Amino acid sequence: MTNVLIPESMEELRQILETHPGARVYAGGTDLLVKMRSGVEAVPPCLVCLERIAELGAVSERGEVVRIGACVTHTRLLADPVATEQLPVLVRAVRVLGSRLIRNMGTIGGNVCTASPAGDTLPPLYVLDAELELRGGTGSRIVALKDFIRGPGQTVLGENEILAAVRIRKPRMFNLFHYEKVGQRKGLCCSAVSLAAMLRVSSGGVVEDAALAWGSVGPTVVRSREIERMLIGKELTAEGMREAAAEVGKIVSPISDVRADAAYRRAVAGNLLLRLAARDGSSP
Amino acid sequence: MTLRHGPLEIGCPVPRVDAAAKVTGEEKYAIDHTPENMLWAGVRRAGVPHGRLRTVHVEEARVLPGVLCVLTASDVPGTNRQGIVHKDQPVLAVDRVRHCGDPVALVLAEDRETLAKALALVAPDIEPLPSVHSPEEALRPDAPAIHDSGNVLLRAVIEKGDAGGAFGECDAVVEETFEVPFQEHAFLETQNGIAHREADGKLVMTVSTQAPFRDRFEIAHALGLDPFSIRIISPYLGGGFGGKDGATVQCLLALAAMHAGGRPVRMTWEREESFIAGYKRHAVKMHYRVGAKRDGTLHALECDLYYDTGAYAHLGAEVMELGMEHAGGPYRIPNVRVKGWCVYTNNPIAGAMRGFGVCQTAFAVESVMDMLAAKLNLDPLEFRRKNALRRGDENCAGVTMVHSTGIGACLETLGRHPLWLERRAWKRAAPPFKRRGVGLAAVFNAMGYGRGLPDSAIARLELTSDGRIRIYCGVSDMGQGNSAAFVQIAGEILCQDASRLELILPDTDRTHPSGSSSAGRTTYTFGNALVQACNTLKEKLFHRTALVLMLDEEKGLALLPGRVRHLPSGREASFELLARMLPEADRASVGQFIMPVAHDVPDTGKEFAIGFPHVFFAYAAHLARVEVDELTGRIEVTGYLAVTDGGKVINPQGFEQQVHGSVAQGLGYALTEQLLLDRGTILNAGFADYILPTALDVPEIISVAAETFEHTGPFGMKGIGEVGTNGPLPAVANAVNDALGRRLTRSPLTASRVLRAMEEGPAQPVT
Amino acid sequence: MKLRFVLNGESVEIEVRPDRRVVDLLREDCGLTGTKECCGSGECGGCTILVDGDCRLSCLMLAAQLHGREVVTIEGLSRDGRLHAVQEAFMEHGAVQCGFCTPGMVLAAVSLLARQPHPSREQIREGLSGNICRCTGYVKIVDAVEAAARKLANGERR
Repeated sequence: MTNVLIPESMEELRQILETHPGARVYAGGTDLLVKMRSGVEAVPPCLVCLERIAELGAVSERGEVVRIGACVTHTRLLADPVATEQLPVLVRAVRVLGSRLIRNMGTIGGNVCTASPAGDTLPPLYVLDAELELRGGTGSRIVALKDFIRGPGQTVLGENEILAAVRIRKPRMFNLFHYEKVGQRKGLCCSAVSLAAMLRVSSGGVVEDAALAWGSVGPTVVRSREIERMLIGKELTAEGMREAAAEVGKIVSPISDVRADAAYRRAVAGNLLLRLAARDGSSP
Repeated sequence: MTLRHGPLEIGCPVPRVDAAAKVTGEEKYAIDHTPENMLWAGVRRAGVPHGRLRTVHVEEARVLPGVLCVLTASDVPGTNRQGIVHKDQPVLAVDRVRHCGDPVALVLAEDRETLAKALALVAPDIEPLPSVHSPEEALRPDAPAIHDSGNVLLRAVIEKGDAGGAFGECDAVVEETFEVPFQEHAFLETQNGIAHREADGKLVMTVSTQAPFRDRFEIAHALGLDPFSIRIISPYLGGGFGGKDGATVQCLLALAAMHAGGRPVRMTWEREESFIAGYKRHAVKMHYRVGAKRDGTLHALECDLYYDTGAYAHLGAEVMELGMEHAGGPYRIPNVRVKGWCVYTNNPIAGAMRGFGVCQTAFAVESVMDMLAAKLNLDPLEFRRKNALRRGDENCAGVTMVHSTGIGACLETLGRHPLWLERRAWKRAAPPFKRRGVGLAAVFNAMGYGRGLPDSAIARLELTSDGRIRIYCGVSDMGQGNSAAFVQIAGEILCQDASRLELILPDTDRTHPSGSSSAGRTTYTFGNALVQACNTLKEKLFHRTALVLMLDEEKGLALLPGRVRHLPSGREASFELLARMLPEADRASVGQFIMPVAHDVPDTGKEFAIGFPHVFFAYAAHLARVEVDELTGRIEVTGYLAVTDGGKVINPQGFEQQVHGSVAQGLGYALTEQLLLDRGTILNAGFADYILPTALDVPEIISVAAETFEHTGPFGMKGIGEVGTNGPLPAVANAVNDALGRRLTRSPLTASRVLRAMEEGPAQPVT
Repeated sequence: MKLRFVLNGESVEIEVRPDRRVVDLLREDCGLTGTKECCGSGECGGCTILVDGDCRLSCLMLAAQLHGREVVTIEGLSRDGRLHAVQEAFMEHGAVQCGFCTPGMVLAAVSLLARQPHPSREQIREGLSGNICRCTGYVKIVDAVEAAARKLANGERR
């Protein structure tokens, strides 16, 4: 039998983790419980459910920073006015994450800590240069997301440390926000290739700045300053994107798996840049 | 909800009578039965595609507290062989394992956790043998023999005219090879059941099954029992689609019950086990050559078909037979040669699945039809209409179409639909990065078992002691709504509304043998038996009313809701009164029916033990509208039209339900569904990676009935349960070709294949 | 553990292992077999229940998580023998075939309409995309939910 504890405060959580070595934390369970059932993850002696810790479940803003509690479910995020107003690139991705059922249970913290190469929140969080608030027995620390995830399923979370919140500076310098997920079907799917993009486009339709991040085409999310620079000064048309699109194949390292083959992922990763041209900029 | 008042009427969209209990969660499927004191049974499976089973170490599992017993092949009485026609599948593997799912030991335990622990402790000692994973591999002269009889389950030929010579007379010939994968039924209620043995030795089983009456014989043969000492109860199934035709859990469950000391036993295959152990649609490779005259008259067709039947036969020979019978499409072709090889491999077991062998050949023949039309510069619809079978024609198997043959009407109706008429304008309006195409398919699917065995049903009808009409239904309802149709038929003939009608689901102790729920046959065959029973009961009620009302002749009588009225005098006898008057033995009527068979005896197809040939067919013409994304290769089906000939429609809502559902399964087959195998191991044995269509993936499907009148069917109907699955793959493939100028010949039509096709040069068929 | 929660409008107290899956608790301990298990991994929606009004996957919830919550299963949807508008619509519009996905689909639709009372057909499809049906091809399910939305909007019975 596995004990299941549901703390209602951070202090309670801290005490539980201190006294229950080997305990695994979860919020929605949509990753961990599935992996425990399939045997990929061992059944721990104790499970700790974080969903009732109020402190972890809020979205707030202070000045230029939006703070999203780790246990904010995807559904709550989509309904949050601060998130929808300030972080459209993230909201676009969360809208196509899983299904409504999954979104009612799954959390941003869970998606980040699972650190799947295909996690839908990750490319947006990477272009947003998100930072993570980690809390452990000895205090708290801030780690950049890009330094947090080391590889598929691997993070720098220490023992008894949990992800408490995701902090994002409002992306003031951009006016076009884009996310495209390519999967095997439209509903409830794992991304085979994804692209998150934030652009600043002039009134004349010329790209002035770009932040790009690809998912599912490497062990972690892929960014490239070079490709981003190639977009600057180009018109937001298929022609304008073509040169950069052709280079994308060089910066990604996709694998072949049950969802897609590497050649497909490589080709599509570049093609997705062309889709930016179809965004007429009327809605951010 | 207000019940529809008024007597049920044929032709009306009467809501299904089973919907109420299903919508409240009250309906109990086999999987919902958990009797007191229940034990759990499960099996350990080989995990290796081919090997010599040296021994099975069971001691550790046996001594685990909570384990009642661990059984191996030596504990199986009888033949230890199950199978529907060809009994080549061990209940528990003896000295060979032939696919990863082959069961090597059965564990009986007090609870699920103990069962899982015990199964993990069972250790089969298997010496791996070289394995084969395609018909090509299995047919090589040096291939390991999977069965003592070799690797060919059946080799057969269907031919007429002189195909070899006729190609020389053609003005246009096209040739192509097509390949389709294994498909999974993916019914939501997995294979499962409960069973117990009574004190007198009788075995009672409640199981999710399409063939309760035949199951008894399959179990009896496998375990050395008397088939009539086995009672099978078949509740509503949570889906079947062919995957629950033939023993799934039944023999294992019966074996477990024999060791349970009278306690009830449950066996439930969870989803992963359902993938590994359940039956599949055959993967097939098809080489086609077809030729026509300049004016578009089809003249010759040749094809070689290789069906991968996996480790055991199941209904492999019958599946291939049907695919071969349909290999020439619903067309007149004077010179035909269809050759088929049904081959064993060490892949999962292929068996019956909706569209039964035809889904595969439909892809090939409807693709080459488009290729040929293009070569002759003919409109693809006109080309099909020109060659479409009419009543009185001889089909490609050499059988005269003496029954309703509506493919022409289907094509004509499709040709008048805006989706066809407005196709060019629609295609021109493609948004950025999208290419649009429209594709057609003309498909058909035989109804019934064909020759060699009786396609029979026996319907029992009873006036109950409280004056209601009870139908004893002999065929399982796996969701196709045949029970609802039977209630509607009885309501129509006996002039009763739904509140006075009830239906008993199949129970071998209470209802009568009526064949399996398969082959699109149940509403037709059982319906006809029921019509007979209704008419007999009606006559009986009139006669008995004459006694009650002291009438000197049985004239002027009418059945009304709940009573019989003598119209001239207005006097009535209520059902309640009649029920009280009649002894139980006099309150029932029994009707029987055997589906007519083909009387042509074509001088071909001699290798088939049963099936060949069929004589009743449902027909359909399908149209798919697709949008292909140039950047990702993804295909979106944005519109779909299915025009179907099912004879006369007895319930438009039920008709549409079958069309929508079969098209949706066909779309899954076309776009995303495939079993990914690595030398016999299923890589995607679950819903995360076996991609089923969701509500976002199936378009609005427009269903139109092109009604013919099937004289032999109840109220003029014939079964349409399967035909809809055959259309989507060819229709979508043809639409993709229309959009891209590229033809995909391997399914599913994944984005990866499409992208590669777009990247490669101009019009050239690509895999 | 001693679990206390509200189940279909009634308070229940039940002694149960904290790590028992909610789908098993409902089907086996409470005898409510309307909630189904079809995949065990959250991919099909067959196990959908309402927890504090939100639709959730009971195969991925553990008993301890129910403490103090309000749970509605398909059995609790009708009140005093009267069906919910969504249930009636499913019956009328032919949205039920084998019926195995139906409990989960109905509850998902109920919670969708509670949050989005006037969904378009596409929004209905999106809202139900986590519930697999293998029989209907979804068209009549969308018809039924659309009809139920109209009924509920007209103030007809819940």
